[in-house]
Amino acid sequence: MVMNCKSARSLVPGYLDGELSEAQAAPLRAHLMDCHDCRSVAQEGKALKGWFVDERPWGVPAGFAARVARRAFAGDTGAVYAESPREAEGRVLDFVLQLTAAAAAVLIALSIGISSLERPQSNRMRADDLTFEETMRRLEELNAEEDRKGAPEEQPVDEPAREDDSR
Amino acid sequence: MFWTGSTMLSPGRRDGNRPRPGASHPAAMEVCLMENATVEDADLVRRVLAGDQGAFQHLIERYQVRLFALARHYTQSPVEVEDLVQDTFLKAYSRLESFKHQSSFFTWLYRIATNTILDSLKRRGRSPVQTVEDPEMVGEPADRAVVRPDSGMENEEISRITHEVLQQLPDIFRVVLVMREFEDLAYQEIADMLGISIGTVESRLFRARARFKQKLLQMYPNFAGA
Repeated sequence: MVMNCKSARSLVPGYLDGELSEAQAAPLRAHLMDCHDCRSVAQEGKALKGWFVDERPWGVPAGFAARVARRAFAGDTGAVYAESPREAEGRVLDFVLQLTAAAAAVLIALSIGISSLERPQSNRMRADDLTFEETMRRLEELNAEEDRKGAPEEQPVDEPAREDDSR
Repeated sequence: MFWTGSTMLSPGRRDGNRPRPGASHPAAMEVCLMENATVEDADLVRRVLAGDQGAFQHLIERYQVRLFALARHYTQSPVEVEDLVQDTFLKAYSRLESFKHQSSFFTWLYRIATNTILDSLKRRGRSPVQTVEDPEMVGEPADRAVVRPDSGMENEEISRITHEVLQQLPDIFRVVLVMREFEDLAYQEIADMLGISIGTVESRLFRARARFKQKLLQMYPNFAGA
Protein backbone atom coordinates (compact mmCIF):
# COMPACT_ATOMS: atom_id res chain seq x y z
CA MET A 1 0.00 0.00 0.00
CA VAL A 2 1.36 3.39 -1.00
CA MET A 3 1.73 5.90 1.85
CA ASN A 4 0.72 9.51 1.32
CA CYS A 5 2.68 12.50 2.60
CA LYS A 6 0.25 13.30 5.40
CA SER A 7 0.51 9.82 6.89
CA ALA A 8 4.25 9.77 6.37
CA ARG A 9 4.87 13.02 8.20
CA SER A 10 2.78 11.96 11.16
CA LEU A 11 4.99 8.88 11.47
CA VAL A 12 8.36 10.61 11.09
CA PRO A 13 8.81 11.60 14.79
CA GLY A 14 7.95 8.09 15.96
CA TYR A 15 10.32 6.70 13.38
CA LEU A 16 13.18 8.92 14.55
CA ASP A 17 12.40 7.98 18.15
CA GLY A 18 12.46 4.25 17.37
CA GLU A 19 8.82 3.82 18.30
CA LEU A 20 7.51 2.27 15.08
CA SER A 21 7.02 -1.40 14.45
CA GLU A 22 8.68 -2.78 11.35
CA ALA A 23 5.24 -3.01 9.73
CA GLN A 24 4.91 0.76 10.12
CA ALA A 25 8.53 1.65 9.45
CA ALA A 26 8.95 -0.25 6.15
CA PRO A 27 6.35 1.66 4.09
CA LEU A 28 7.55 4.93 5.61
CA ARG A 29 11.12 4.19 4.54
CA ALA A 30 9.86 3.43 1.05
CA HIS A 31 7.95 6.70 0.96
CA LEU A 32 10.96 8.68 2.19
CA MET A 33 13.05 7.20 -0.60
CA ASP A 34 10.64 8.60 -3.18
CA CYS A 35 9.45 11.85 -1.61
CA HIS A 36 11.93 14.69 -1.41
CA ASP A 37 9.75 16.92 0.80
CA CYS A 38 9.06 14.25 3.40
CA ARG A 39 12.70 13.27 3.34
CA SER A 40 13.61 16.88 4.16
CA VAL A 41 11.22 16.80 7.11
CA ALA A 42 12.84 13.61 8.38
CA GLN A 43 16.32 15.00 7.89
CA GLU A 44 15.47 18.15 9.80
CA GLY A 45 14.05 16.07 12.64
CA LYS A 46 17.27 14.11 12.73
CA ALA A 47 19.33 17.32 12.68
CA LEU A 48 17.37 18.63 15.66
CA LYS A 49 18.07 15.45 17.60
CA GLY A 50 21.76 16.11 17.04
CA TRP A 51 21.51 18.98 19.52
CA PHE A 52 20.60 16.78 22.45
CA VAL A 53 23.98 15.92 23.85
CA ASP A 54 25.08 16.44 27.41
CA GLU A 55 28.76 16.68 28.03
CA ARG A 56 28.98 19.56 30.43
CA PRO A 57 31.79 19.19 32.94
CA TRP A 58 30.66 18.29 36.41
CA GLY A 59 31.31 15.91 39.26
CA VAL A 60 29.64 14.36 42.26
CA PRO A 61 30.64 16.21 45.42
CA ALA A 62 33.28 14.40 47.46
CA GLY A 63 31.87 12.28 50.27
CA PHE A 64 28.31 12.58 48.97
CA ALA A 65 27.40 8.90 49.33
CA ALA A 66 28.79 8.56 52.86
CA ARG A 67 27.05 11.74 53.96
CA VAL A 68 23.67 10.75 52.56
CA ALA A 69 23.91 7.20 53.95
CA ARG A 70 24.69 8.64 57.36
CA ARG A 71 21.70 10.97 57.19
CA ALA A 72 19.41 8.17 56.04
CA PHE A 73 20.41 5.98 58.95
CA ALA A 74 19.98 8.92 61.31
CA GLY A 75 16.31 9.04 60.34
CA ASP A 76 16.29 11.83 57.76
CA THR A 77 13.55 11.02 55.27
CA GLY A 78 14.13 13.77 52.76
CA ALA A 79 15.16 17.39 52.65
CA VAL A 80 12.58 20.10 52.64
CA TYR A 81 13.36 22.45 49.79
CA ALA A 82 13.67 26.13 50.32
CA GLU A 83 10.17 27.38 49.85
CA SER A 84 9.25 29.51 46.90
CA PRO A 85 7.80 33.01 47.35
CA ARG A 86 4.43 31.54 46.40
CA GLU A 87 4.75 28.91 49.11
CA ALA A 88 5.77 31.54 51.65
CA GLU A 89 2.80 33.64 50.60
CA GLY A 90 0.57 30.59 50.97
CA ARG A 91 1.90 29.91 54.45
CA VAL A 92 1.25 33.52 55.53
CA LEU A 93 -2.25 33.30 54.10
CA ASP A 94 -2.85 30.02 55.93
CA PHE A 95 -1.63 31.62 59.15
CA VAL A 96 -3.90 34.63 58.70
CA LEU A 97 -6.87 32.38 57.96
CA GLN A 98 -6.15 30.24 61.01
CA LEU A 99 -5.76 33.33 63.16
CA THR A 100 -9.05 34.72 61.87
CA ALA A 101 -10.80 31.42 62.54
CA ALA A 102 -9.37 31.30 66.06
CA ALA A 103 -10.44 34.89 66.75
CA ALA A 104 -13.95 34.14 65.48
CA ALA A 105 -14.13 31.08 67.73
CA VAL A 106 -13.04 33.13 70.75
CA LEU A 107 -15.65 35.81 69.97
CA ILE A 108 -18.41 33.23 69.67
CA ALA A 109 -17.35 31.60 72.93
CA LEU A 110 -17.27 35.00 74.66
CA SER A 111 -20.69 36.00 73.39
CA ILE A 112 -22.14 32.68 74.54
CA GLY A 113 -20.44 33.11 77.92
CA ILE A 114 -21.66 36.66 78.38
CA SER A 115 -25.23 35.82 77.44
CA SER A 116 -25.23 32.90 79.85
CA LEU A 117 -24.21 35.26 82.68
CA GLU A 118 -27.53 37.05 82.31
CA ARG A 119 -29.51 33.89 82.84
CA PRO A 120 -30.56 32.58 86.29
CA GLN A 121 -27.89 30.43 87.79
CA SER A 122 -30.25 28.47 90.12
CA ASN A 123 -33.65 26.82 90.03
CA ARG A 124 -35.24 29.69 91.96
CA MET A 125 -37.46 31.70 89.76
CA ARG A 126 -37.38 35.43 89.77
CA ALA A 127 -40.32 37.69 89.15
CA ASP A 128 -39.03 38.84 85.87
CA ASP A 129 -38.99 35.24 84.78
CA LEU A 130 -42.74 34.74 85.50
CA THR A 131 -45.43 35.01 82.95
CA PHE A 132 -48.42 37.21 83.52
CA GLU A 133 -50.64 34.28 84.59
CA GLU A 134 -48.00 32.93 86.93
CA THR A 135 -47.52 36.33 88.46
CA MET A 136 -51.24 36.70 89.10
CA ARG A 137 -51.45 33.22 90.58
CA ARG A 138 -48.48 33.94 92.80
CA LEU A 139 -50.02 37.18 93.97
CA GLU A 140 -53.27 35.38 94.81
CA GLU A 141 -51.34 32.84 96.81
CA LEU A 142 -49.62 35.62 98.72
CA ASN A 143 -53.00 37.25 99.45
CA ALA A 144 -54.45 33.98 100.67
CA GLU A 145 -51.45 33.43 102.91
CA GLU A 146 -51.81 36.88 104.45
CA ASP A 147 -55.50 36.28 104.99
CA ARG A 148 -54.70 33.13 106.91
CA LYS A 149 -52.28 35.03 109.13
CA GLY A 150 -54.79 37.80 109.69
CA ALA A 151 -55.06 41.01 107.87
CA PRO A 152 -52.77 43.72 109.13
CA GLU A 153 -54.43 46.54 111.11
CA GLU A 154 -55.53 49.38 109.04
CA GLN A 155 -53.40 52.36 109.48
CA PRO A 156 -55.27 55.55 110.33
CA VAL A 157 -55.36 57.79 107.42
CA ASP A 158 -55.40 61.49 107.97
CA GLU A 159 -58.36 62.72 106.19
CA PRO A 160 -57.92 66.01 104.60
CA ALA A 161 -59.69 68.72 106.48
CA ARG A 162 -63.09 69.17 105.04
CA GLU A 163 -63.86 72.59 104.02
CA ASP A 164 -66.35 74.14 106.37
CA ASP A 165 -69.43 74.42 104.28
CA SER A 166 -71.07 76.48 107.03
CA ARG A 167 -68.86 79.22 106.36
CA MET B 1 31.22 10.73 28.79
CA PHE B 2 28.79 9.94 31.54
CA TRP B 3 25.80 7.69 31.45
CA THR B 4 22.63 8.94 29.83
CA GLY B 5 20.26 6.28 31.06
CA SER B 6 20.03 4.32 27.87
CA THR B 7 20.11 0.69 28.86
CA MET B 8 18.40 0.11 32.16
CA LEU B 9 14.82 1.12 31.83
CA SER B 10 13.04 -0.16 28.83
CA PRO B 11 13.32 -3.77 27.85
CA GLY B 12 9.90 -3.57 26.19
CA ARG B 13 10.77 -1.26 23.32
CA ARG B 14 13.65 -3.12 21.77
CA ASP B 15 11.59 -4.69 19.01
CA GLY B 16 11.02 -1.28 17.42
CA ASN B 17 13.16 0.40 14.80
CA ARG B 18 15.44 2.01 17.36
CA PRO B 19 19.11 1.09 17.07
CA ARG B 20 20.05 -0.43 20.41
CA PRO B 21 22.32 1.74 22.50
CA GLY B 22 25.50 -0.13 23.24
CA ALA B 23 24.84 -2.49 20.35
CA SER B 24 28.54 -2.91 19.81
CA HIS B 25 28.70 -5.00 22.99
CA PRO B 26 27.93 -8.68 22.62
CA ALA B 27 24.30 -9.01 23.65
CA ALA B 28 24.90 -12.02 25.88
CA MET B 29 27.58 -10.17 27.81
CA GLU B 30 25.27 -7.19 28.33
CA VAL B 31 22.47 -9.40 29.63
CA CYS B 32 24.94 -11.13 31.91
CA LEU B 33 26.23 -7.80 33.28
CA MET B 34 22.71 -6.54 33.89
CA GLU B 35 21.77 -9.74 35.68
CA ASN B 36 24.85 -9.44 37.85
CA ALA B 37 23.96 -5.85 38.68
CA THR B 38 20.43 -6.92 39.59
CA VAL B 39 21.70 -9.70 41.83
CA GLU B 40 24.17 -7.35 43.50
CA ASP B 41 21.45 -4.72 43.96
CA ALA B 42 19.12 -7.25 45.51
CA ASP B 43 21.87 -8.33 47.88
CA LEU B 44 22.71 -4.74 48.78
CA VAL B 45 19.04 -3.95 49.39
CA ARG B 46 18.75 -6.97 51.68
CA ARG B 47 21.81 -5.84 53.62
CA VAL B 48 20.52 -2.28 53.91
CA LEU B 49 17.23 -3.56 55.30
CA ALA B 50 19.25 -5.55 57.83
CA GLY B 51 20.84 -2.29 58.99
CA ASP B 52 24.06 -2.19 56.97
CA GLN B 53 24.83 1.50 56.38
CA GLY B 54 27.86 0.63 54.26
CA ALA B 55 25.63 -1.31 51.85
CA PHE B 56 23.44 1.75 51.39
CA GLN B 57 26.51 3.88 50.76
CA HIS B 58 27.52 1.33 48.13
CA LEU B 59 24.09 1.61 46.43
CA ILE B 60 24.38 5.39 46.41
CA GLU B 61 27.87 5.26 44.92
CA ARG B 62 26.58 2.93 42.24
CA TYR B 63 23.79 5.22 41.02
CA GLN B 64 24.71 8.73 42.13
CA VAL B 65 26.32 9.65 38.79
CA ARG B 66 23.16 8.76 36.87
CA LEU B 67 20.92 10.70 39.20
CA PHE B 68 23.16 13.76 39.17
CA ALA B 69 23.08 13.60 35.36
CA LEU B 70 19.29 13.43 35.44
CA ALA B 71 18.81 16.28 37.90
CA ARG B 72 21.20 18.55 35.99
CA HIS B 73 18.79 18.67 33.08
CA TYR B 74 16.26 20.46 35.26
CA THR B 75 18.32 23.00 37.15
CA GLN B 76 21.59 24.74 36.62
CA SER B 77 22.19 25.24 40.33
CA PRO B 78 24.72 22.67 41.64
CA VAL B 79 23.31 23.06 45.15
CA GLU B 80 19.81 22.33 43.94
CA VAL B 81 21.02 19.33 41.96
CA GLU B 82 22.69 17.93 45.05
CA ASP B 83 19.55 18.53 47.12
CA LEU B 84 17.40 16.70 44.58
CA VAL B 85 19.68 13.68 44.42
CA GLN B 86 20.12 13.57 48.17
CA ASP B 87 16.37 13.77 48.66
CA THR B 88 15.88 10.95 46.19
CA PHE B 89 18.22 8.62 48.08
CA LEU B 90 16.75 9.56 51.46
CA LYS B 91 13.26 8.84 50.18
CA ALA B 92 14.45 5.59 48.66
CA TYR B 93 15.90 4.51 52.00
CA SER B 94 12.76 5.40 53.91
CA ARG B 95 10.65 3.40 51.43
CA LEU B 96 13.05 0.56 50.83
CA GLU B 97 10.77 -1.97 52.48
CA SER B 98 8.20 -1.28 49.77
CA PHE B 99 10.65 -2.26 47.01
CA LYS B 100 9.32 -5.62 45.81
CA HIS B 101 12.04 -6.46 43.25
CA GLN B 102 9.42 -6.47 40.49
CA SER B 103 11.58 -4.03 38.53
CA SER B 104 15.29 -3.34 38.71
CA PHE B 105 16.40 -1.30 41.68
CA PHE B 106 17.47 1.50 39.36
CA THR B 107 14.07 1.65 37.63
CA TRP B 108 12.47 1.95 41.06
CA LEU B 109 15.03 4.59 42.11
CA TYR B 110 14.64 6.48 38.83
CA ARG B 111 10.92 6.75 39.40
CA ILE B 112 11.48 8.23 42.85
CA ALA B 113 14.01 10.66 41.36
CA THR B 114 11.62 11.75 38.63
CA ASN B 115 8.80 12.28 41.10
CA THR B 116 11.12 14.21 43.40
CA ILE B 117 12.18 16.48 40.54
CA LEU B 118 8.64 17.01 39.25
CA ASP B 119 7.48 17.70 42.78
CA SER B 120 10.22 20.27 43.30
CA LEU B 121 9.28 22.00 40.04
CA LYS B 122 5.67 22.08 41.16
CA ARG B 123 6.63 23.41 44.58
CA ARG B 124 8.43 26.24 42.87
CA GLY B 125 5.22 27.35 41.26
CA ARG B 126 5.50 25.31 38.11
CA SER B 127 3.31 22.42 37.18
CA PRO B 128 4.86 20.27 34.48
CA VAL B 129 2.38 17.45 34.74
CA GLN B 130 -0.97 19.11 35.12
CA THR B 131 -0.42 22.27 33.12
CA VAL B 132 -2.96 22.68 30.40
CA GLU B 133 -1.31 23.14 27.04
CA ASP B 134 -2.59 26.51 26.07
CA PRO B 135 -1.93 27.67 22.51
CA GLU B 136 0.19 30.55 23.78
CA MET B 137 2.72 28.08 25.03
CA VAL B 138 2.99 26.11 21.86
CA GLY B 139 4.15 28.62 19.33
CA GLU B 140 4.17 28.29 15.62
CA PRO B 141 6.85 26.09 14.11
CA ALA B 142 9.66 28.21 12.75
CA ASP B 143 9.66 28.54 8.99
CA ARG B 144 13.37 28.08 8.79
CA ALA B 145 14.95 24.71 9.26
CA VAL B 146 17.48 24.17 11.97
CA VAL B 147 20.84 22.73 11.05
CA ARG B 148 22.67 19.91 12.71
CA PRO B 149 25.34 21.20 15.12
CA ASP B 150 28.50 22.09 13.28
CA SER B 151 30.92 19.19 13.24
CA GLY B 152 33.60 21.62 14.34
CA MET B 153 31.75 22.42 17.55
CA GLU B 154 32.82 20.70 20.72
CA ASN B 155 30.14 18.55 22.34
CA GLU B 156 30.54 20.63 25.47
CA GLU B 157 29.59 23.75 23.54
CA ILE B 158 26.59 22.05 21.90
CA SER B 159 25.50 20.84 25.30
CA ARG B 160 25.80 24.30 26.82
CA ILE B 161 23.69 25.84 24.06
CA THR B 162 21.09 23.08 24.23
CA HIS B 163 20.64 23.45 27.98
CA GLU B 164 20.54 27.20 27.68
CA VAL B 165 17.64 26.81 25.26
CA LEU B 166 16.00 24.12 27.39
CA GLN B 167 15.99 26.45 30.38
CA GLN B 168 13.86 28.83 28.33
CA LEU B 169 11.15 26.24 27.72
CA PRO B 170 8.12 25.71 29.94
CA ASP B 171 8.60 22.68 32.19
CA ILE B 172 5.80 20.83 30.45
CA PHE B 173 7.96 20.69 27.33
CA ARG B 174 11.35 20.41 28.99
CA VAL B 175 10.30 17.33 30.93
CA VAL B 176 9.30 15.32 27.87
CA LEU B 177 12.37 16.43 25.93
CA VAL B 178 14.69 15.41 28.75
CA MET B 179 12.96 12.07 29.17
CA ARG B 180 12.96 11.33 25.45
CA GLU B 181 16.21 12.83 24.23
CA PHE B 182 18.56 12.50 27.18
CA GLU B 183 17.10 9.70 29.24
CA ASP B 184 16.09 7.68 26.16
CA LEU B 185 12.75 6.68 27.65
CA ALA B 186 10.14 5.10 25.40
CA TYR B 187 6.82 6.84 24.88
CA GLN B 188 5.11 4.32 27.13
CA GLU B 189 7.61 4.94 29.93
CA ILE B 190 7.15 8.70 29.66
CA ALA B 191 3.39 8.22 29.70
CA ASP B 192 3.66 6.06 32.83
CA MET B 193 5.97 8.50 34.59
CA LEU B 194 3.75 11.50 33.88
CA GLY B 195 0.41 9.76 34.12
CA ILE B 196 -0.65 10.75 30.61
CA SER B 197 -1.58 8.83 27.46
CA ILE B 198 0.87 7.89 24.72
CA GLY B 199 -1.04 10.17 22.35
CA THR B 200 -0.45 13.07 24.72
CA VAL B 201 3.24 12.18 24.93
CA GLU B 202 3.46 12.27 21.12
CA SER B 203 1.69 15.59 20.76
CA ARG B 204 3.60 17.13 23.65
CA LEU B 205 6.91 15.98 22.17
CA PHE B 206 5.94 17.38 18.79
CA ARG B 207 5.17 20.76 20.33
CA ALA B 208 8.23 20.65 22.56
CA ARG B 209 10.51 20.10 19.58
CA ALA B 210 8.83 22.91 17.66
CA ARG B 211 9.30 25.18 20.64
CA PHE B 212 12.92 24.11 21.11
CA LYS B 213 13.67 24.81 17.47
CA GLN B 214 11.93 28.18 17.65
CA LYS B 215 13.91 29.20 20.75
CA LEU B 216 17.18 27.91 19.34
CA LEU B 217 16.78 29.94 16.18
CA GLN B 218 15.66 32.95 18.18
CA MET B 219 18.75 32.81 20.39
CA TYR B 220 21.17 31.59 17.73
CA PRO B 221 19.93 32.66 14.27
CA ASN B 222 23.18 31.44 12.75
CA PHE B 223 21.99 27.84 13.18
CA ALA B 224 19.18 28.34 10.67
CA GLY B 225 19.40 26.21 7.55
CA ALA B 226 18.44 27.05 4.04
